[in-house]
Amino acid sequence: MSSDETWRIIGKRQQGASHVFLGMPNQDDIRWDKGDDPFPWAVIAVSDGHGSPKCFRSERGASIAVEVAVNVGREFLMSQISRSNLPLVKVWAEEKLHQHILDRWLEEVKEDCVRKPFSAEEPSGLDDRDRPATRRAIDERPEIAYGATLVTCLITTGFVIYLQIGDGDILSVSSEGEVSRPLPADPRLFANETTSLSSKDALLDFRFGFQVISGRPPALTLLSTDGYSNAFRDDCGFLKVGSDLLDIIRTDGPGQVEQYLPTWLKEATETGSGDDVTLGLVIWEEVVARLPRGTAEGGVDRAHHE
Amino acid sequence: MAKRPGGELATRPLHFIWIADCSGSMGVDGKIQTLNTAIREAIPFMRQVADENPNAEVLVRALRFSSGAQWHVSQPTPVADFKWTDLAAEGVTDMGRALRMIADQLKMPPMTDRALPPVLVLLSDGQPTDDFSEGLKALMDQPWGKKAVRMVIAIGGDADLEVLEKFIGNPEIKPLQANNPEALVRHIRWVSTAVLKAASSPASQAKGVGSSTSNVPIPSAPVAGAGPSSSSDVW
Repeated sequence: MSSDETWRIIGKRQQGASHVFLGMPNQDDIRWDKGDDPFPWAVIAVSDGHGSPKCFRSERGASIAVEVAVNVGREFLMSQISRSNLPLVKVWAEEKLHQHILDRWLEEVKEDCVRKPFSAEEPSGLDDRDRPATRRAIDERPEIAYGATLVTCLITTGFVIYLQIGDGDILSVSSEGEVSRPLPADPRLFANETTSLSSKDALLDFRFGFQVISGRPPALTLLSTDGYSNAFRDDCGFLKVGSDLLDIIRTDGPGQVEQYLPTWLKEATETGSGDDVTLGLVIWEEVVARLPRGTAEGGVDRAHHE
Repeated sequence: MAKRPGGELATRPLHFIWIADCSGSMGVDGKIQTLNTAIREAIPFMRQVADENPNAEVLVRALRFSSGAQWHVSQPTPVADFKWTDLAAEGVTDMGRALRMIADQLKMPPMTDRALPPVLVLLSDGQPTDDFSEGLKALMDQPWGKKAVRMVIAIGGDADLEVLEKFIGNPEIKPLQANNPEALVRHIRWVSTAVLKAASSPASQAKGVGSSTSNVPIPSAPVAGAGPSSSSDVW
């Protein structure tokens, strides 16, 4: 691993056990990018397509969501010439970032519909009772078919921006191994229901967090779709993922995490939720730099789509 | 291999609760006997649905109400172990009391927010004799009460459809009308399979998007027996 890199990013998406059984695709997606010019930065996004019959293109909606979030996030960070004016950065991010992401997502969805118009058979899998009303709704607002969540983080050595619409989780793990949720819970995300990029009021449904880094940045930042947290018997078991991963990275190196992540996520969906499971992990390199000599492992990741 | 991070993994619980009217009128014309037989015969089909959805842990309970209400099967029982003991009919129709007892069980805790929406199936042939509205309010005050899949089988022509529709609370779903033993068996089989299967699916529903008002899309009920009374009606 090159010592001049600030973050290492690992991510993986795993098709849900119930999706395999039912012949459904993996409707999660993940994407990230990072760089050191003009300052160290990283952007990561995960998305969960809703998968219900009326959201019959949610797999594509999730893919568009992570691509748009990383592109908009990168453009936002590159535009922050004076990062020292953190109040200004925060105001701009809080007021504009989610709007830019949503606008771009809707544009891309519209273009996707032009490239591939809805067929007469779509949506399939709907009850005859529901089909006419759903078709009318989708003709009026095609984005319904692409419904997906979005969980994204923009990370620099001076600040971290957290942005989320819909279910899924962000965990922040300090160098001391303390695990916290940087965004407040949304009580509406309950009983299969979620807010969505496809909602009429999506702009109002984003949650936003801005963390000023005065000392050390988070040792780990975890982003996941709800299939992962739902795989654990309780929330304590899920939060433990953060501190356990930090221990594994410090003891065995991030290469171990990268190697075994597919196995862990497969076990999570098969033994747990059955849903698609996606986990993205941003590791602060100094965590690895403190490893005993010879245990850190190589590998450079750039703009990536798992 | 590095140890898997995190705590214990677990499938998501899906609570399925039968809420059976055992008032005296259920003893007339073999209604309670048909109900007992139909639920007992539905159990293998419930197990089959559960086997096809291994990430949902189907847990079954039953509550009876007549003069008061009591748990008939009080513990959430894995469907593989669930057995049906016959109910008997006597007394009045304290449906409100039954709903309050359900509401107590849907509090968090003992429920958790990672559960799948519970399925509540109310079977009744009459009109509540206690404060139904208070019971319904207690149920709907609980987040899981509000988001439960609430289904009704109305047995015979004297069932209070207005009250039963209030329990369902969804204009897209109507009480399943059972005016003869065959219809009751068919409806019990359908809620045990089609509705259970729908509730087992973890597909997310976007809030306020599209036409449906339900967090669990319920398929249309079989048409036969769901319509107006026919010449084969005996209840």
